[in-house]
Amino acid sequence: MRPQSVGWLFLAPTLFILFVFGVLPFIYVLVVGFFDWNSFAADPTPRFSGVNNYRELVFDTGYLMSLWNTLRFGVFAVVSEIILGYALAQLFMRNFPLKGFFRTIHTLPLMIAPVAVGATWRLMTVPGLGPIPYYLDKWFGIDFLISRYPQQAFFTTVVMDVWHWTPLVTLTLLAALSSMPKEPFEQAQIDGANRFQTFWYVTLPMLKPAILSAVFIRLMDAMRTVDEVWMLTGGGPGAATRYVGLYIWRVVFPKTDYGYGSAMSLITLYLTIVLCWLLYAGLVARRDLRRTE
Amino acid sequence: MMFGAAVAGLLVGAGEARADFWSDAAKGLEGTTIHGVSESTPPSNYVKDVLAPEFTKKTGIKVEFEATSWDQMYDKAIKDMEANTGIYDFVYIEQDIVYSYLARNFLVDITKSLAEKPNLKSPDFDPAMFTTFVNYFKNEGGDIFGVPMEAFIKVYLYRKDLFEDAKVKDAFKAKYGYDLAPAKTHQQYKDIADFFTAWGKDNGGEFWGSTVQAHTGHPASWYEFFESVAPTFGVYNWGIDPSKNYAASVANGGSMNSPESKKALEWWLSLLPDAPPESTASTWDEVAATFAAGRTAQGLVYGENAAWIATNDTKSKVVGKVGVALPPLEPGVLEAAESGKGYIGYYDGGAFGIPHSSKNKDAALLFLEFIAQPSVQADWAVAGSRITHQATYDDPKVVAQDAKTDGYYSLMKNDGRLFAGAPPYPFHAQVREATAPFFYQAITGELSASDALDQMAAAAEQELTKLGYRK
Repeated sequence: MRPQSVGWLFLAPTLFILFVFGVLPFIYVLVVGFFDWNSFAADPTPRFSGVNNYRELVFDTGYLMSLWNTLRFGVFAVVSEIILGYALAQLFMRNFPLKGFFRTIHTLPLMIAPVAVGATWRLMTVPGLGPIPYYLDKWFGIDFLISRYPQQAFFTTVVMDVWHWTPLVTLTLLAALSSMPKEPFEQAQIDGANRFQTFWYVTLPMLKPAILSAVFIRLMDAMRTVDEVWMLTGGGPGAATRYVGLYIWRVVFPKTDYGYGSAMSLITLYLTIVLCWLLYAGLVARRDLRRTE
Repeated sequence: MMFGAAVAGLLVGAGEARADFWSDAAKGLEGTTIHGVSESTPPSNYVKDVLAPEFTKKTGIKVEFEATSWDQMYDKAIKDMEANTGIYDFVYIEQDIVYSYLARNFLVDITKSLAEKPNLKSPDFDPAMFTTFVNYFKNEGGDIFGVPMEAFIKVYLYRKDLFEDAKVKDAFKAKYGYDLAPAKTHQQYKDIADFFTAWGKDNGGEFWGSTVQAHTGHPASWYEFFESVAPTFGVYNWGIDPSKNYAASVANGGSMNSPESKKALEWWLSLLPDAPPESTASTWDEVAATFAAGRTAQGLVYGENAAWIATNDTKSKVVGKVGVALPPLEPGVLEAAESGKGYIGYYDGGAFGIPHSSKNKDAALLFLEFIAQPSVQADWAVAGSRITHQATYDDPKVVAQDAKTDGYYSLMKNDGRLFAGAPPYPFHAQVREATAPFFYQAITGELSASDALDQMAAAAEQELTKLGYRK
């Protein structure tokens, strides 16, 4: 057997799994997106409707609003996670008593299922029971009621996401920081660079690939957040936290509108890819292009 | 010779002896595992903790019972039946979703199955022994598609101890000019709510005038309005009229945005300032928990919780202090209900049905018959405030529990006829989801009651047109 054939043989199981669980469902969703199909319609038979579902979602204010909310949520959450994750990664680069213990504690949220995170935060925010409204009222006189005030609900979902996913960013950046060579830092010290200059011109460029990976992963996650937010607010109050994942879930499951839900899923996937590409083009490709000029 | 005859007689007798129906009927099914999914409610948990293990003991059939949240229960059951995967052998069918399931032919015809397999038919299983609630689970031909496992009405609970307190009564009369008593009208209910909210503030406690099931992102609030509040204002069947081409808007002959409906929503929203802060995050469970925690003076609470709220001092702080009454009504609504032209609230409940996709239909059939036995009903009724058999009301255990719950069971027996289940619409969840966003916005104050109902009526008609019901 030729080495190339052996390679394909080893790859075959993975390719098979990818095809069955990735490519086939994608094709299925793509096809369903062109049909009017609701199992509880007067006629539950799928009917080909061309691009009707896509045309409809352009005028669906609920969908557009959910996209806008998701974008805001993604920006607030991911930026906070990157800043906080970097600060924590730097902290864990240093030696201090009980460092291992704190690092383990810090990583624990990652191991909790999103639905449990949502339930926990819900318990913590329920008035009359949760500690958060109690102490915010006692210490700052804040009337904290996420089931009533949209802005509070929005920022609570952001904080919950930051609490849950910052450890992922910390671990990613910690790995990147640990693998950095010492020479550029020593060189910067010799050149008399201050702390900010060292960070800006030495650390940040070397960290950029890790930061971008973290941003892409977190941004994609943020675009499909469902379970945490569902448990915490149910998408409310009103539509304040009805992010796009939740909106699609409602259309596909309770409303059983499979065709329209599929079309929305595909457009959301497309928008996520475009967003990541824009980020890549803006942050990486342009600078690489400048270097080659 | 006599001895020989006696021995022969004993042998014949022994040959005819049967262990009991359940072990005989389950022959060949021992070791089978049936899977079921239900909402986690007091009656369901009784099935999981008590009836399922008993069934396993008698038949050798194992029962994997999944008691989960309401949303998960629907989601899992529908997906399983839609995809025909056969994960579940019995599913909880809420009274309001059964029409959707029947429209899709998701369920096994229990009457027909038992007729085809007489060896599985328990001598105890008699459809005539159920209350009229079983009618919600029949098709047009009268065949049963679900075995009722819980049925209860949504009642008005109030704090009897406070309503009978002389000081409180005097203060109320001084302020409103009439005697404090369980509200018969909406105005009285609002007065009581205002009074006790102020009373709570004055007494420095965490106490409010009313519970409100007003979650701002969960269907529970939508149901509170359309099933429990709107009918008390004379708005029935969600304001949708099937005889007028499924009209929802007044312009087309419906009543979803009628003056009565708008008055009902305004009244309900006006209770929010009188409700504890958790109300806008409350679904059915939390409303019961709020009342049980002694945080409110009155509220509309699902009756399945009445027993534990009134009697279980490990979970409830208001044991011995609970009064039960009919909901407050607009003039004429009671008369309409008594004449069969309307109803005053929600007769809730559900049944267990067998999906066509089930891989263990025979074992599931036996389980459904097992939980339908008259002998298990009384303890189940005491634990879960649910009644599905006519005879259960007269059981001494239930009679004793009735006294402890201020006559909840008697109320259900005598006045249950004034309540009604959901309208027989197969598009239940679809219309709810289409209209709920506007409803949530009314709770948050982003839309007025009037605007919200106008938009809901339009959205309902649009959805019904899309679904092909409205031509």
